[in-house]
Amino acid sequence: MIDLRGIARRFVQGRGASRRAVQAVDGLDWRAEDGCISGLLGPNGAGKTTLLRIVAGLLVPDAGQVRVDGIDVATRRSEALARIGVLSDARGLYPRLTARENIAYYGRLHGMTAQAVRERTELLAQMLQMAPLLDRRTEGFSQGERMKTALARALVHDPHNIILDEPTNGLDVQATRALRDGLRRLRDEQGKCIVFSTHLMQEVERLCDRVLVMARGRAVAEGTVASLCEQTGEDDFERCFVTLAFAGEEAATRMPT
Amino acid sequence: MIAACWTVLRKELLDALRDRRTLLTILLSSVAVGPLVLVLLSTLVADLEERAEAREIVVVGIEHAPTLRNYVERQTFRIRQAPADYERLLRDNRLGDPVLVVGEDFEAVLASGEPPRVELLSSSANNRASAGAARVARLLQGFSQEQAMLRLAWRGVAPSSLQALEVDDRDLASAAARAAQWATLVPFFVLVAVLYGALHSALDSTAGERERGSLEPLLMNPVPPLALVLGKWAAVAAVAMLIALLSCVSFLPGQWLLRSETLAAMFRFGIREAALFMALLAPLAGALSALLMAIAIRCRSVKEAQANAGALVLLVSLLPMLTLFNQGGEAPWHLGVPALAQITLMGRVLKGEPMAWWELALSLGVCVVAMALCLALVARTLRRAALQ
Repeated sequence: MIDLRGIARRFVQGRGASRRAVQAVDGLDWRAEDGCISGLLGPNGAGKTTLLRIVAGLLVPDAGQVRVDGIDVATRRSEALARIGVLSDARGLYPRLTARENIAYYGRLHGMTAQAVRERTELLAQMLQMAPLLDRRTEGFSQGERMKTALARALVHDPHNIILDEPTNGLDVQATRALRDGLRRLRDEQGKCIVFSTHLMQEVERLCDRVLVMARGRAVAEGTVASLCEQTGEDDFERCFVTLAFAGEEAATRMPT
Repeated sequence: MIAACWTVLRKELLDALRDRRTLLTILLSSVAVGPLVLVLLSTLVADLEERAEAREIVVVGIEHAPTLRNYVERQTFRIRQAPADYERLLRDNRLGDPVLVVGEDFEAVLASGEPPRVELLSSSANNRASAGAARVARLLQGFSQEQAMLRLAWRGVAPSSLQALEVDDRDLASAAARAAQWATLVPFFVLVAVLYGALHSALDSTAGERERGSLEPLLMNPVPPLALVLGKWAAVAAVAMLIALLSCVSFLPGQWLLRSETLAAMFRFGIREAALFMALLAPLAGALSALLMAIAIRCRSVKEAQANAGALVLLVSLLPMLTLFNQGGEAPWHLGVPALAQITLMGRVLKGEPMAWWELALSLGVCVVAMALCLALVARTLRRAALQ
């Protein structure tokens, strides 16, 4: 379970005369429940990546508190991080290492034994259909192969909370379906808390139990796909999202800053 | 924390050793060049020695000076006729001996009691010829002195009455100190090897991680940034030391290749010296690795980092020149400057001179402080760097 209370984060961009402050996240409250796939939706610049970085302990919020399974990220960072697996926007691999070595590096950093890493790697390779890739150097991997390796790396320590930033980018249909099945199984069989950020409405409709719509650093709507459609009176989820996100943006611009 | 450091260290070493092409370039440029230069140098010295031993003199117009010829031959020198276009050959560096030009009236002027004039041709741009010129000048001096003695003796004057002062030459430098003049090149090459050994892996493990976008996910592991930095630093320093070790070891067979016997006898660089070099270089390798990482972590790409590290590389390569150009000799503050301190101390090892404990402590202390500061800086910057 990931619990966010009053999260705010401001950035200062530029220098001198062109200096301006951007409120990336603005007093956000949200909870991603266990046994649930939560979608994080928002237009570009809505603050999704900033929010995910705050949860992963890379950014310190100006205000508010992040708790992962009840553990405060600010004060007990290592313990909290041991319970999260993040596939972030940056998913660089080490080109001179094989996929297996890339995955094992993270496993060892999480304090796993070599044996545990081996077993877990085989399991993930099966789930992500990447067994033939394991012993190849990642130099020259295709976009999809990189993605699978990065995903396996993020999940190697079997985290209870999984944060995925656009995980289906670059995956082919087969792999996307396999990933979707895998995530559903993790939710149903192990009760994992999964947060999923994406641009694809279709992904959200097929996979997410609940959706948070963000605009200008604020939460503008929260609920199931059906309840959001009902709320906006749209039967198409894409139109529903546009209405929510734009209404949110207008509301945000009207707010005094 | 220690387990995490160890994991990072092993991964970084594996990564660095897999980069065969870069490793090969470093090996060729920093490990092979030193011995090569040493061998070339020894060829030059051996050539000079050969000429000194050859006892040969190149002359134009010796037929006009039978007295001089008699003297030269008594000194067991062999006389060789100069080639026709000797001036051009000397200028073009193709004639390796100075040329003595004797005038037609030499014998007549000598007999009349006047000093005849001869010309000794060499070129200061022609190293071999100008080295030989001093030898020929000494020979002519001997001839001049002999003639003067004979004239005085003829007139009944004791030769010693003209010699108010007698000078004995004594060279105070030990054999090892003389060798060190040639061997000042060795510490320089080993130092540069350390620098180039550290350079690539330091840049790859900091700016390279940023460029690949692998730093952000790395920081999402439950490991303190300092542990990551320490692991990376240990790997960089280990690679630097490995290259330094290879460079030191490469001078051992280089020594057997020395053509000049005098140089080979004087150049003392054995296992003991190599081991002392490594001990002196270890703290420097640590400090340079940390410094390079601190420079590179601020850069977004390896290319940018290379440009920034260029200044440091230049500085470290130029510092040894200070000891070459410095007329005042060694100053105490030299030992407080990393790189310069190691060059100075390695020079002492080669000369066989002792080192005081405080000198070692000072050079070590400065390196350790610089290293700690840089590593703390990298650890502090790491998270911010990952996000930019």
